[in-house]
Amino acid sequence: MTEPTPPAEPSTGRVRITSPLSTASTHVRRTVGQEIDEATGVGEVYMQSLIRSQLRAAATVAITLLLTVVSLPLVFLWVPGLNDGRVLGIPLPWLVLGGGVHAGVIVLGWLYVRHVERAERLFTHLVEPSDGRP
Amino acid sequence: MSPTWGIVAVSLVSIATLAIGAFGLRISRTTSDFYVASRSVSPVLNGSAISGEYLSAASYLGIAGLVLTHGADMLWYPIGWTAGYLLLLVFVAAPLRRSGAYTIPDFAQVRLQSVAVRRVSTALVVAVGWLYLLPQFQGAGLTLQAVLDAPRWVGTVLVAAIVTLNVVLGGMRSITFVQAFQYWLKLTALLVPLMFLLLAWSRDGRPAAQASADWWTPLGVATPEAIYGTYAVIVATFLGTMGLPHVVVRFYTNPDGRAARRTTLIVMVLISAFYLLPTFYGVLGRVYAFDLIASGRADTVALELPSRLIAGSGGELLTALVTAGAFAAFLSTSSGVTMALAGVVGQGLSDHGPWRGRLSSIAALRIAAAACVAVPLSLAFVAEPIPVASSVVFAFALAASTFCPLLVLGIWWRGLTSAGAIAGLIGGGVCAGAAPFVTLALDVDGWWGTLMSQPAVWSVPIGFGLMIAVSLATRSRIPATVGRTMVRLHTPERVQVDRRF
Repeated sequence: MTEPTPPAEPSTGRVRITSPLSTASTHVRRTVGQEIDEATGVGEVYMQSLIRSQLRAAATVAITLLLTVVSLPLVFLWVPGLNDGRVLGIPLPWLVLGGGVHAGVIVLGWLYVRHVERAERLFTHLVEPSDGRP
Repeated sequence: MSPTWGIVAVSLVSIATLAIGAFGLRISRTTSDFYVASRSVSPVLNGSAISGEYLSAASYLGIAGLVLTHGADMLWYPIGWTAGYLLLLVFVAAPLRRSGAYTIPDFAQVRLQSVAVRRVSTALVVAVGWLYLLPQFQGAGLTLQAVLDAPRWVGTVLVAAIVTLNVVLGGMRSITFVQAFQYWLKLTALLVPLMFLLLAWSRDGRPAAQASADWWTPLGVATPEAIYGTYAVIVATFLGTMGLPHVVVRFYTNPDGRAARRTTLIVMVLISAFYLLPTFYGVLGRVYAFDLIASGRADTVALELPSRLIAGSGGELLTALVTAGAFAAFLSTSSGVTMALAGVVGQGLSDHGPWRGRLSSIAALRIAAAACVAVPLSLAFVAEPIPVASSVVFAFALAASTFCPLLVLGIWWRGLTSAGAIAGLIGGGVCAGAAPFVTLALDVDGWWGTLMSQPAVWSVPIGFGLMIAVSLATRSRIPATVGRTMVRLHTPERVQVDRRF
């Protein structure tokens, strides 16, 4: 079609009609990495969802900390009975504040790291499905 | 007691510190070695180093002293210093490493594309660092006075000199080894004597602590001011940790964002293990060293207990061990802070000063280190010593009111502008920075005194509020590069994207 040969002898009868598939735009597979680099709509959606999910994980940890550890002074204040409790001879508040909270904070951190690393692995697979890099 | 063992202990720690520093010197050659140990430090080594650097005189001596004096409420200090790392882990650790900058001012400039933000952050880094160094230097003087009967200036000058030498000679790489060694030294130096002390206490018939119910109960005297005070410590320590220059600079030495997270987790485990110990010293102090409260020397309780419980050379040896740990605490924290300050100021000197280009970056780092030590050193002679843990909290409050909003908003909110950042840094910084001066100079009483001496509860919201409000008002000045920066901060290193700015 691009090269319309002028019909030289119309009488010969046979006209060749071709579909120029060879010149049609080939379908280029673009990676998500490229989409992100070029800040296209798709790339933006990927980035937004990654950042949102990371922020959600961080906020979950922060809110958990707020509801448990940060509320402790008020809990001990409002439930005075707790102050009289003893475990192995150690007063309950000293056990909780001197060691229990630290252990809880470490567990929270460990859970967070596990969650976020899994999310990042998923994102990497999504962006580079083959991941054929050395 | 005879000061011989104490002198031996202090000399050994000093020599070991300088020797490990010299070992680092042999392998630190490039600028990158000097500033960030070429970013090749493994999580376990880096975790030990961060913990070694973080456990300052405030943790080593200060907590025991505060528990001895005030009781259960003081347990919030070590909780805050641990939980601060949890918030650092979830909001800052990986993106900060992925930002690829050396220091907070670098981060600010890269994120906001503004030299003015860089200058303001540099000034604040220096302010936080000086507030942190001052009590370390004073504590060193106090310790050598208590143990060796030396005049107060001896310990102060000794620590300042060793720290400057170490930074000047070895830079970040040697510091990393020194700090990692000092964490384990500090842990041992509190743990081993504690075993003997508990044994002696047990043999003594387990006498009870001379304390009222108020001392044993959290918020035993539940005045509104006491409740405010507890929350002020919580806010300052939870949010301040992520903004401490010597902690932040360590995150750039991780190989990648994932390693930065793992390092943080290791730090939380290591410092929690350490924080179990000072509480015991505080409680035992209530049994055997009650007089220290009245004489205003509560900070020395960990140093005093071994010789009071264990007679003879055994007690003296244990005292020497605790002294060695305390000295390691002064050295490691001061080295870390000085290194961070020198990194920030040195970069400014070599890139921006009138001698731009004529000063090599390593020479600039060395000059900056000497200058950064000189100021708090002279202040240490002028200022009245106050309990070391409380004065460290001034530095935490300042970091929480300035760098915490800068980092959290800069990493998670596209809308932050340079004008907003500057407004928040200056507003939060002035509020939190004025507090120690008002407290020390004017000696205000009542509610005003409480609010001024522990500003974090109101100065942190001011810092955040100003940053958000002014950013919203200057929305047109959001840097065009913000999308690019966010990609870089948040995508895992394995994903191949364009990371240039």
